[in-house]
Amino acid sequence: MISFENVSFQYTGEQECLKNINLTVNDGDVVLVCGPSGCGKSTLVRCVNGLIPHFYRGELTGTVTVNGTCVAQTTLRKISRHVGTVFQNPRSQFFNVDTTSELAFGCENFGLPPEEIEQRINSVVNRHEIGYLMDRSIFRLSGGEKQKIACASIAVEPVDVIILDEPSANLDYQGIRELQKMIAAWKEDHKTVLIAEHRIAYLFPYITRALLMKDGGIVREYSADEIRELSEEKLHSLGLRAEQAEDPSEIRIDTDMRRGNTDTLVLSNMKYSYRKEKPVFDIPRMEIPAGEIVGIVGANGAGKSTFLRCLCGMEKSCKATLKVGDELWNNKQRRRNLYLVMQDVNHQLFTDSVLEEVMISQENENREEALEILRSLDLEAYADKHPLALSGGQKQRVAVASAIASGRNVILFDEPTSGLDYSHMLQVSELLKKLRENGRTVILVTHDTELIKTACTYIIPFAGIKHGEKKEMII
Amino acid sequence: MEYRLDRNVHSLLDPRTKLLLLFTSSVFVVGNAGERWMVVFYWILVYLPVLLLLVEKEWVTAAVAGAIYVGCYFAQRALQHDLTAVESALALLLYVITKILPTVILARYIVRTTKVSEFLTAMRRMHVTDKLTIPISVIFRFFPTVAEESRSINDAMRMRGIEMGAKKATEAVEYRLVPLIASCSIIGEELSAAAMTRGLDVGKKRSCIWNIRFGWFDRIIMALCAACFIWWGIGRFYV
Repeated sequence: MISFENVSFQYTGEQECLKNINLTVNDGDVVLVCGPSGCGKSTLVRCVNGLIPHFYRGELTGTVTVNGTCVAQTTLRKISRHVGTVFQNPRSQFFNVDTTSELAFGCENFGLPPEEIEQRINSVVNRHEIGYLMDRSIFRLSGGEKQKIACASIAVEPVDVIILDEPSANLDYQGIRELQKMIAAWKEDHKTVLIAEHRIAYLFPYITRALLMKDGGIVREYSADEIRELSEEKLHSLGLRAEQAEDPSEIRIDTDMRRGNTDTLVLSNMKYSYRKEKPVFDIPRMEIPAGEIVGIVGANGAGKSTFLRCLCGMEKSCKATLKVGDELWNNKQRRRNLYLVMQDVNHQLFTDSVLEEVMISQENENREEALEILRSLDLEAYADKHPLALSGGQKQRVAVASAIASGRNVILFDEPTSGLDYSHMLQVSELLKKLRENGRTVILVTHDTELIKTACTYIIPFAGIKHGEKKEMII
Repeated sequence: MEYRLDRNVHSLLDPRTKLLLLFTSSVFVVGNAGERWMVVFYWILVYLPVLLLLVEKEWVTAAVAGAIYVGCYFAQRALQHDLTAVESALALLLYVITKILPTVILARYIVRTTKVSEFLTAMRRMHVTDKLTIPISVIFRFFPTVAEESRSINDAMRMRGIEMGAKKATEAVEYRLVPLIASCSIIGEELSAAAMTRGLDVGKKRSCIWNIRFGWFDRIIMALCAACFIWWGIGRFYV
């Protein structure tokens, strides 16, 4: 049982983040904690797994107890015997490099006998059919596979409370299906599950209660049936995502938006294989409508991100060409003429100030023009700020600004909305539309069905290679 | 097909043997202790890492390393006359490569083939404190992360036309380091939070699922290392 009594929390040097929380969660409950970004849902779950107050410092008042133990008065190690956590970012939650050791890690830390750990691992691996993921390097797994290992490694531990902190942020449709199975298994085992999330529809079959948070307080509690009944408009007005679990390649999009009769960019001979293994994809010809927002959709691990790297000329071994008008661009020309906004945009911001970031991309540095570009993206006020000090959405816009400054007309995005709530997703969608209005071609890889519905004018279903087939991808 | 965990999977050498070998190699190859007196052991220590690469089936890396060794050897032979300024700079470079490369290969081998859990357990058996071994194991974990992050950053730089030898070449180093340090420090913080929620703590007893024990190869390598030090001692104090 988890209980909060008059709990408030404030991170050192920041505004109050939790305000007077009172909450009781019974054993076997599956509770959804939802709300827009910054509402305090992650902070709330951190009070249960002990990261608050033991890791993140701040001012905590009131008491949180888990199975009768007061979290603040015990050690993280003792709490971790009762509470397991799956985090949002799969790249930073693994302590080991190989998957098998990762599964054993928690139990080893508790000092359980090796024979018992072996038994636990065998039963979890067979129950969830993840034998094919064992004995592999974490660094060679796709995002969805990593998240499966993260869940499995918690399932191996003998904990009775499980915390999921935005677990679906980097998952596609298929990955979410797997996550659902995991949650179903925990529910069956009568574990207490607490999920902080703003993509919520996929959880409806499992939750017993849902708490809506806003500005650090719990503003409403819904039963499972009540929250299921909420309309799409209502969910959006609460800042929540209303994505249904659906296959993005089957989405019908509004074709009225299309310009019609536009030119196409023709991509040929797109083929890539990792170190002489069988090809990841082999696309003899793909037509991409120019001046449109084209969504490329497909499962995690199908090679979509690699596809983008090849498309913008980063992979030497890929000999694709892109025909634009009368010109045929090879890798080097594509590197100069296409621009990829990466999923982790931190990797592409180098300088001390936003203005400099834009200016180094210009052919000839021109301050006035750079400021003009920033103005068009609502960034002028931040011209002197350090790019890494901005919010995620602002960083994305800075990257776009430098693409515009270098005069590129084809802009690629890799999962631009992963982990974003409704209003932030809409901002990205507006940005894409603005680029299109200015005549640019936008190509994005995404599994965000709401973004596809609000922004994309074309969808290209992307399939990795199966049995060495070749695939023409023409709309 | 049912999955069964095999707890006996391990690399050729025990973590303790690997560390002893690394230490010996640092002393006699990089440090060049004993100089001509140690010449036989020196060459064994230089070629052993290439053998270990072959054991790990890293054929290409082993072939490249072997080619560099042989190339350096003959180049140094050719440079044993009176040297011009350029030639002596080249000779110095070759000297540094032959000194450093074997130990670099060995260190890479250790990082790639040692599981974090094996390492922690082996160190505990040698009564080395957790306060030291846990941070070292984090460093192990960080090598591939740094490689992965810097690859993405490199891509981003190429896309912007900021490359070595192109525009902004002087700033290229700074541009590379700022995002690398920023993202590694974020990953580092998230990683320690995750490890702590899974019960990692200093000074507490932990178990290890991998069966680690000394095998024949460990004994051979340990004997080799011991022989190096004994032979060096003889040369130093009795001859």
